[in-house]
Amino acid sequence: MDRLDVRQTVYQVTMVTVVAVAVGAVASLAAIAFVEAVLLMNDYLLVSPYARIQAEDRHLLVMAATIAVPAFGGLIVGLIVRWFVRERRALAPPDVILAAQTQRSGPGFRSGLASTLAALVSLGSGASVGQYGPLVYLGAMFGNLAGHLKLKLRHQRSIAIACGVAAAIATAFNAPIAGLVFAHEVILRHYSLRAFAPVTVASATGYIIANVIFDRPALFLVSFGHVEHSYEFVFFALEGVLSAGLACAFLWLLRASTAAARRFPVPQWLKPASAGLVLGLIALWIPEVLGIGQETLRFATIEGAFGIGELALIIVAKLVLTALCIGFGFVGGVFSPALLVGILFGAFYGLVLPYLLPLPYSGLEVYAICGMMALASSVIGAPLTTILIVFELTRSYDLTIAAMVAVVFSNLISYRVIGRSLFDLQLRARGFDLSLGRDKAILETHPVRDYGSQAYTTAYVDETLGTVRQRLVDDDRAEAMVLTREGEFQGVVRLQNLVNGRAEAPLDAMIVSGTTQFGDDTTVWQSMEMLRGFLGEAVPLIGDDGRLIGVVPEEAVIRAYLEIVHDLREEENEAA
Amino acid sequence: MKRLSACARLAMVLLILPGLVAAEDQVLTVATWGGAYEESQRAAYFEPFTEQTGIEVRTVVYNGGLQVLRDQLATGEVEWDVIDMIQSDASAACEEGLLETIPPAILEPAPDGASPEEDFMTGAIDPCFITQIVFSTVIAYDDRAFPGVKPRTVADFFDLETFPGKRALRRAPVGLLEWALLSLSVPKEQLYDLLSTRRGLDLAFRRLDEIRDDIVWWTGGDESVELLTSGKVAMATGYNGRFFDAQVKEGAPISVIWDGQLIGFNSWAIPRGTDQVAIAEQFIGFATRTENMAAQANRISYGPARRSARQHIGLHVETRVPMRPHMPTAPEHMANAVIRDHRWYSQTVRLREQWFRNWLERNGEALPETSR
Repeated sequence: MDRLDVRQTVYQVTMVTVVAVAVGAVASLAAIAFVEAVLLMNDYLLVSPYARIQAEDRHLLVMAATIAVPAFGGLIVGLIVRWFVRERRALAPPDVILAAQTQRSGPGFRSGLASTLAALVSLGSGASVGQYGPLVYLGAMFGNLAGHLKLKLRHQRSIAIACGVAAAIATAFNAPIAGLVFAHEVILRHYSLRAFAPVTVASATGYIIANVIFDRPALFLVSFGHVEHSYEFVFFALEGVLSAGLACAFLWLLRASTAAARRFPVPQWLKPASAGLVLGLIALWIPEVLGIGQETLRFATIEGAFGIGELALIIVAKLVLTALCIGFGFVGGVFSPALLVGILFGAFYGLVLPYLLPLPYSGLEVYAICGMMALASSVIGAPLTTILIVFELTRSYDLTIAAMVAVVFSNLISYRVIGRSLFDLQLRARGFDLSLGRDKAILETHPVRDYGSQAYTTAYVDETLGTVRQRLVDDDRAEAMVLTREGEFQGVVRLQNLVNGRAEAPLDAMIVSGTTQFGDDTTVWQSMEMLRGFLGEAVPLIGDDGRLIGVVPEEAVIRAYLEIVHDLREEENEAA
Repeated sequence: MKRLSACARLAMVLLILPGLVAAEDQVLTVATWGGAYEESQRAAYFEPFTEQTGIEVRTVVYNGGLQVLRDQLATGEVEWDVIDMIQSDASAACEEGLLETIPPAILEPAPDGASPEEDFMTGAIDPCFITQIVFSTVIAYDDRAFPGVKPRTVADFFDLETFPGKRALRRAPVGLLEWALLSLSVPKEQLYDLLSTRRGLDLAFRRLDEIRDDIVWWTGGDESVELLTSGKVAMATGYNGRFFDAQVKEGAPISVIWDGQLIGFNSWAIPRGTDQVAIAEQFIGFATRTENMAAQANRISYGPARRSARQHIGLHVETRVPMRPHMPTAPEHMANAVIRDHRWYSQTVRLREQWFRNWLERNGEALPETSR
């Protein structure tokens, strides 16, 4: 290595570390502030049981708050999204994935802040939505800021975004390895050392900060010895399969709810309020549906806290109301509700199983945790992350392996039925399809017009065959693009058809129309598909108005493909 | 026990002859908790106070709660001048307007010159009360009942199979709900969140059902020590200072389980309606002096609420046992200590009473006398 290289390397490593620590610290602090603010609002607004019981003497007040707080919160959310989020919808992990995968400039910082505020109001007022989605977005937002600094680091933006996300997750779950893996598994979708190193640093930073100043009880805490009977692994696998079914139902409900919201005849900004009202009314009867439900989550691992019927009721209510809240425009994630429904389902499964098969079991907890992770991993498409969360929170090998079996079977099924995750489904709806991997999705984001050329021979419909033939010979080409005098594209003529024709014959009989054409928005991926069976030199590139913009030679499409894929492979295999 | 009866006799004499005493001299009536605790107060506060001011201190037994205060204020016959209250009771009483306000100026600075605001624990100086000690409600067991494997955790208190024997519990919805959930491995940070739900309360009482037939109730702080040392119960909940007293001073074969200890605070307060507010304030100012608080801590294992007083804790005045390891706040006891949530306690008085009463009635018992 010469001196310049050494200097360059030292600069790279130092800068990357500084960025990782800074982004990790900021994202972690922001996540803490967010979570604390939600808890504070829950207490002030009589959402949390802790606050509600203290107002027990004023029963009417509690009832009124139960109905009014989510409804009024919904109204504020609707207005924030209407006026301050440019996209006029909740910003969520799919936006983060898109920003990290493509060069597109995602939603702006102002929109991000507004969306975060809307999420804060949603969660604070007890909407049945999750907090991790907004936290991921929050972390990514700060990462994105750092990504725009002029530091001349390769793939700076996507790595900085991943750093923010990892730190947020590490902080929220107090699980740094899970944070690290989540950023790679869900956001980056590759494991290059160049990204891995800074993301690890950010994740560890988040964990340290969380440990120093953020003293919250773990998401779940179980005292579990070990799986006592080997046949139980079959039950874990079966539980995974059933959880996948529940995950499909959840996603179906989300889609149905979104569709219903679209048809619901009130202005967009009023929709969250109407969902809030329904939520409040049902919460009078089933208070467990309000908010994140940390108490309910804890009860699920305690034997005797729920009856079987109660569990079934809460599972259905929570599923439906979460779909309602998200579909109707509350801002928040799906991970926490999925964890809650999953753990309740796991408890349900653990309670029902002894009636179906009277065998000895290792207790309720392991089934509850398996259900929780199986369902949640299918919804967000992060099997490794969820397995690691179990490991980091319980430090129990047995429990982790049990959860692993359930998670894997759940993902096997849900992948076939619904695809990798809710995020990927949402991205596909927006035209970014990751179902066949990053290559296709990225090739889909590059328009082939970027590789177009102006080197083509023009012919006009009213010209004679001889003129055009001579022009082709002069240009050393075998193909001419035929246009009207107004510039409208008519088709192509090929030299082999002109060779034997009379020079004074009109051109129009010779025009071959209906050949392959690229449009203004044809992507590199589509162009490759369309080139199948194409015979010719170059494909005409036609604008929306029917005019010829240029041509794309076959060679250019291949070059585009090679360049993009080469970049991806390089990104994925880079060392630090 | 001899001392106690002497105390009781003295108190009775004072009760019978209030007119005479008042005529002769000024008397301050302090409502406090009796037993070893009151003795330590007598030595550290009451006697030195009388010595210095010539004002006699008369004590009456108080076992917590607000009802007595409410009754006195309602009838207009406020007999107490100073009350030693659980902090959550004091803050609830303050909200109900049952207490006089206490000017913070009555508090003296620490010997090193630190102001009371710096020296006292956060939240100790309140308009209505001055928090003075940290006490703990713990589970203790009779060593003789378990010669082999000893109980170590709260869960063991509920485990009648491994650790058979009667359990003494305070007949009040205080502490038992926390222990019931702790025994189901609920983390201490989430206890009050879970107890805020119907499901949590229900779960706690169902857990108590499991030991229902073996519960022996106590009301006064000394009763639980008595039940345990006399062998009537195998395990008992009670105040750590009294168990310390029995264990160290009297040599009783009992041990304390610090797991799940419930840390609370006691505060001095002045009931509204007393005609001796000035003397009451003078007394509180005197009793919260650093050296007086340290003097009490060297007699009974309750932690002073002043930093400067904690620094003066040394050996027990009689037995020369080091006091620090017996303090509830000793680091090795804090791993699974539950800090009693005062806000929650003061706001849920009625609800807890209601649930507790219903539970007792469901089990065919009469209403509790004191239930806070």
